[in-house]
Amino acid sequence: MSAALTVRGLKAGYGGKPILHGIDLEVPAGSALTIVGPNGSGKSTLLKAVVGLVPAQAGEIRLGETPITHRDAPARSRLGLAYVPQEANIFRNMSVHENLRLGWEFHPAPQSRAPLARKIDEILELFPEIRPHLKTPAGVLSGGQRQMVAVASAMMLEPDLLVLDEPSAGLSPRNAGLLFGIIGRIRRTGLTLLMIEQNVQLGLAAADQGLVLVMGRVRRTAPAAELAADDTLAELFLSLDRPGAHTPDP
Amino acid sequence: MTSYLLSLLTIAVIAGVVGLALNIQWGMTGLVNFGLFGFYMVGAYACALLITQLGWAPWQAVLASIVITTVVCALVSLISLRLEDDYFAIVTLAFAESVKLIVNNEEWLTRGSIGIPGIPRPFPSDIGMLLFAMAGLALVFLAFETVSRSPLGRTARALRDDPLVAETVGKNVLGARLRLFALGGTALGIAGCLHAFYYQYIDPTQFNVAMTASAFMLVILAGRGSHRGVLLSSLTVVVLIEGTRFLDDAIPWFAPHQLAALRLILIGLALILLLIYKPEGFGREYRYLHGRGRATGRAAAPAARCRWD
Amino acid sequence: MMQILFNGLVTGMLVALPALAVALTFSVLRFANFAIGAMITAGAYLVYTLNVVLGLPLLVSGIVGAALAGALAAAIDLLVFRPLRDRSAVTLMVASMGVSFILENIVRFIAGNTPMGYDVALSRPWRWAGLRINVEQVQALAVCALALLVVWIIFRRSRLGRAMRAIADNAPLAATRGVSRQRVITATWVMSGVLAALSGTLIGLDATIDPQMGWLYALPAFAAAILGGLTHPLAAIPGALVMGVLSEAATLVLPSHYRIMVAFVLMSLLLILRPAGLFGTRWLTR
Repeated sequence: MSAALTVRGLKAGYGGKPILHGIDLEVPAGSALTIVGPNGSGKSTLLKAVVGLVPAQAGEIRLGETPITHRDAPARSRLGLAYVPQEANIFRNMSVHENLRLGWEFHPAPQSRAPLARKIDEILELFPEIRPHLKTPAGVLSGGQRQMVAVASAMMLEPDLLVLDEPSAGLSPRNAGLLFGIIGRIRRTGLTLLMIEQNVQLGLAAADQGLVLVMGRVRRTAPAAELAADDTLAELFLSLDRPGAHTPDP
Repeated sequence: MTSYLLSLLTIAVIAGVVGLALNIQWGMTGLVNFGLFGFYMVGAYACALLITQLGWAPWQAVLASIVITTVVCALVSLISLRLEDDYFAIVTLAFAESVKLIVNNEEWLTRGSIGIPGIPRPFPSDIGMLLFAMAGLALVFLAFETVSRSPLGRTARALRDDPLVAETVGKNVLGARLRLFALGGTALGIAGCLHAFYYQYIDPTQFNVAMTASAFMLVILAGRGSHRGVLLSSLTVVVLIEGTRFLDDAIPWFAPHQLAALRLILIGLALILLLIYKPEGFGREYRYLHGRGRATGRAAAPAARCRWD
Repeated sequence: MMQILFNGLVTGMLVALPALAVALTFSVLRFANFAIGAMITAGAYLVYTLNVVLGLPLLVSGIVGAALAGALAAAIDLLVFRPLRDRSAVTLMVASMGVSFILENIVRFIAGNTPMGYDVALSRPWRWAGLRINVEQVQALAVCALALLVVWIIFRRSRLGRAMRAIADNAPLAATRGVSRQRVITATWVMSGVLAALSGTLIGLDATIDPQMGWLYALPAFAAAILGGLTHPLAAIPGALVMGVLSEAATLVLPSHYRIMVAFVLMSLLLILRPAGLFGTRWLTR
């Protein structure tokens, strides 16, 4: 059920403005890679390029053996790629049930494995907090609950690769811990994980590998534990986090 | 032949004034005035009625109708200024259709579908008419160029490109929009008067949505915000459209109403093609004429593409 | 009084179809489709061609004509709006103006300006419970109700409807969940075309058809969609019914040709006082 993600020489950006200047990365099947870096380095853009929301201007992206560089986002999701963006990651005007259903409905593989009701039950095992709110419009829920709905909807696809953009963003420390606990449980099923985390400690603790992205280039790739223990990393962030060097993450 | 040329130029001049009006309202400030023809109609009818029914002198009528049109513009914008583009367009269009309805039906006021004949020109000759129109155009052009370079003009462009930022910086968004929209209304009033004088007979059928679409085409062609561009594009478009009228006789296999329909189809087609292939038009906006040295049309174009593209 | 209500209901139903089309386009495609008037006209004339020129019975003409109108709408999307994908709402609006011109004038080019009528037998109105009802009105009510029901079922209960609502809500997210935006867009256009054609035919049955007819219903359609509040496109239906009844009621005090004014005044009042419409919350992000 697991697959690897391979990215070679990826260049991407918006309009005429390039943001990523040739990214190489590899996520072995079943492992987790966390991307860290200062604001404005292109982390979100990288995820969007992997997922198909930003076109690749050069380079190659492979899901397992399958090249996906020129496939659109729906096609990539059908190949087993699920994405949870940082903001606007639920359908606010649709109920929680419909949000979950949407994750499942456009993918033939999950549908052939189990009927909807059973699949939703399965997912709610992982996210019991949202069970009482199935009929509620998702936009009405609290920040933590919305995040749960977002990740749960992505899981409905039965993905091989789960891509998360700042899963702990806007969550209280308790909720962030809860969510990462769930992510840990999900990982035990053999899922491959690619994520961005601003909370470097939490992000690296949950991962096998870490990648430092600065100004659209890969600065360093190393085992997560090594990066977490590295003091120079903090310095890197501090020196680049000067006022004026702050730009919103593209 | 001369009179044909003179009339062609006069129409181009009037179109230029209308284009400048929309350029201030939409090109510079981003207000989608789909009801353009309504205000134009108000200007034309006010002028014509004041002269023929109340016996006012042309100068008085012109001034009065300019004031009336400006005020009407201001009132309409009061209703709709807070609205987003779609709503603004719908409301202004509904206003224009309402004006047309009233004009068509309130015969005691406007003579309804019979129209108003015998409108005397301030300068009876064709060349006099043209010069008079050009004077109006020059006035509007100079005034608008001044506005473009003024703080109000900068506010306008800020409003068009980034209204949230403009608001946070503390500019009075609504006040500025009102003034800019009303300014456009003034130009429309002038244009309406010129229309009445030129044709010397007005009726409701002369005013319709086709005018609005043509005006949008003019402004897009010109490169939004470029007043000079509008002058050029109105000349080009009018020459193309009106100029082909004499071809009508050379095309015997279509009936007159079909040729009229064909002309309108071409306007629609041109508008769409422009939007697809050349939305930035051919002109350059004021700020790019200065301080960029050898900025080419290409270099100016991406920057000229704002949220309105 | 009841007569006013009944007539208003019929008018409202006729407006409800294009109003729904406009609301769906607004919701899924994010712009105000000013071509809806011309689509009504084109649909009416398509049915006319089948019915009068080709001599097909009205029911067949209606069904085939509506289908053709749907195809025409899809073609318009392909030719005009796909090249303009991801451009601003204003650009799309102005483009829809252009489309309106082209459609209306193609009709004018081919068919001329004279009003024409469908090939249907004349019938006398009935009297029922003190109301004057004619066949066309009953037809209109039945067809409209059916069409609206079908759209409701599609929108709220089908996979396509969920896809439409997802795209309307958050198009990039929908893409990552496997929803093909283009298919949803095409479906929305087809639905618009069919609704417009049905409306045009019913209007034409009641009176005559002419190249300008669509405009008479376009503005009330917009007003109804706004009245409904654009969060829930289906709310355009009650919006249209309210508009229909109010404009009929207005004929008590105003001459009947001022019905469009009612749309304008209502819309303006609403937008000043309650931009959320009667039933909706203001669309939060665009």
